[in-house]
Amino acid sequence: MNVEKNEISQIEELHRLRGNWLQPLILLAPSGIWLLLLLVLPALIIFELSLVADIRPGDLVNPNGFQNYIRILDPLYVQVIVRSIFFAFGTTIICLILGFPVAYWIAQIAPQRWRNLLLLSFVLPLWTSSLLRSYAWITILRPTGLLNGLLSTFGLPTLELLNQSQAVFIGMSYSLLPYMVLILYASLEKLDKRLLEASADLGANPVETFCQVTVPQILPGIAAASMLVFITGLGDFVDPELLGGASSMTAARLVYNQFLGTTQNWGFGSALSMTLILLVSIAIALLIKFGEPAPKR
Amino acid sequence: MTNRRQFLKGVAALSSLSLAGCGWRLAEVRASSNTSSQRDQLYIFTWTQYTDKQLLKTFSTQTGMKVLADVYDSNDVMLAKLQAGGGGTYSIIYPSDYMVQKMVNKGLLIEINHDRLIGLENLFPRFQNPSYDPNNRYSIPFNWGTTGLLYNSEKIKDAPQDWDYLWQNKEKLNQQMTLLNDVREVMGATLRMLGYSYNSKNEQEIKQAYEKLKVLKPAIARFDTDAWQNQILAGDLILAMCYSADAVKISQENPKLKYVIPRSGSSLWTDTIVIPKASPNLAGAYAWINMILQPKIAAQISQRLSVSTPNRVGFEQLPKAIQNNSNLFPSESLLVNCERVTPVGDFEEVYDRYWTQLTSS
Repeated sequence: MNVEKNEISQIEELHRLRGNWLQPLILLAPSGIWLLLLLVLPALIIFELSLVADIRPGDLVNPNGFQNYIRILDPLYVQVIVRSIFFAFGTTIICLILGFPVAYWIAQIAPQRWRNLLLLSFVLPLWTSSLLRSYAWITILRPTGLLNGLLSTFGLPTLELLNQSQAVFIGMSYSLLPYMVLILYASLEKLDKRLLEASADLGANPVETFCQVTVPQILPGIAAASMLVFITGLGDFVDPELLGGASSMTAARLVYNQFLGTTQNWGFGSALSMTLILLVSIAIALLIKFGEPAPKR
Repeated sequence: MTNRRQFLKGVAALSSLSLAGCGWRLAEVRASSNTSSQRDQLYIFTWTQYTDKQLLKTFSTQTGMKVLADVYDSNDVMLAKLQAGGGGTYSIIYPSDYMVQKMVNKGLLIEINHDRLIGLENLFPRFQNPSYDPNNRYSIPFNWGTTGLLYNSEKIKDAPQDWDYLWQNKEKLNQQMTLLNDVREVMGATLRMLGYSYNSKNEQEIKQAYEKLKVLKPAIARFDTDAWQNQILAGDLILAMCYSADAVKISQENPKLKYVIPRSGSSLWTDTIVIPKASPNLAGAYAWINMILQPKIAAQISQRLSVSTPNRVGFEQLPKAIQNNSNLFPSESLLVNCERVTPVGDFEEVYDRYWTQLTSS
């Protein structure tokens, strides 16, 4: 009889839950429709375009296979995609190395009343156009630019940074550093200082404390920030275009050439875009799988 | 009871159904009906250096219509925007000569009614019936010029005479030279240097040009059509491949920068004015063309914007100094080896393949 009662209460619960579906639906509808129309639908259109080989504007769209994707496997295009990943990954590492001390200082060491001001000053460049910031880097890194002018005043040898990968790394790291600092700050703010004190009491030196106590606590924050920087860097078009030279073709620029260049092979450009989306999805899947902290015992 | 997996399967099936077999046409440019035209506004789509506030004001005073100009810096960007649906607003577009042929083949342009034009006979005889558009059926020439090399005569004592100067002086010019970011111009120049045509349809010749360029590539700072101007003025670059119109403008700012048309030949281009099929303001478009054809306006444009005007009467009104500027108006002897870039049909793909290989490695 107890089993029957349990089943009845379960069925009642299910009925109640089913009746409550209207309210969540109405609340989610605006953003849901926005996502559907502006994200899902265009992605599906791009996917359908990518299935047509050799399409040009004015042609009929008839999906006829995966030739475009097979074409991407050509070593030339694989090299371009690998270069994109290389730039994005390198930028993530640089931002992590540069951003972590800053975030730690703002979160833990700086006086409480200055924190908001410091964060604001870090975020301020984001309020200007990213295109203008990249142009500013051209002015700084040019052979006769500000940096070399400064170096030669002090008698130091001039650096040839523009039109090479170094300039791309500098530009991308500068653009994405504020994101890294903000997200790391959010994580570091919640750092439990008592655990640090406890580990010091138990005899660990600062390095051991850092590796075994601090890092595991803020690992989700590091993962989220790195993922944001990596994903944004993967699709970055402006910095490689303006700061890179003749040998810095990335996937984003290749897509640009397919759509806005002489080729006009919109099918292949769509396939490249889908590949980038796939890479980003893989990165996010990895984050979800490994980014969560282990459940506490 | 539905569960999440079944729901997702249903959505996937629905979406594939709705997209397959629809047979929609990609990037169709539809003509707008003239009944919804704007009679008092003219939208033009032009190159960044071909229009300025004074020209727009002159048009407004002459016709009373408001003019709004959008700009682009590449023919392909213009064509892509036109086809992606943004072209329905423009009544005047400025394509280059080979792009006119492409647009005519795609059915994007209307035939210009010469009876509505005033002053077409003012053009030089050789522009009355150009090879890219016989009898100016679809386009009116606006500016013409060549492609060549602009170099800093202070840093380069021995003036370049030909394209192979770049290969011979690779070390001296390392990272201080740029080439145009245009597949036909760069590969065409290399083909010309090797003795072939700008419009070669021979894969072996194109491959040879690609191999030549691959040798030069490590010394090239970037492939650039616009940004080199500031850099050569600042001294970062000492040699740039450029169009004659830009070269004239830059040498006016710094007379030490000299322009040369390579001896083995270069490309001869003409920028034109066309009216697209989807043009909303036909009367305004003809009024704009008539204004450009006026000799006085043509002479003013020539001086202010460094435009090589094809307008004979306008040319005669220019001061002697500008008429004798051989960069702006080169004589026939300089143009003897120059060639016009024309569409190459199926071989566009071959050019593009080698170009992508060159720029991606």
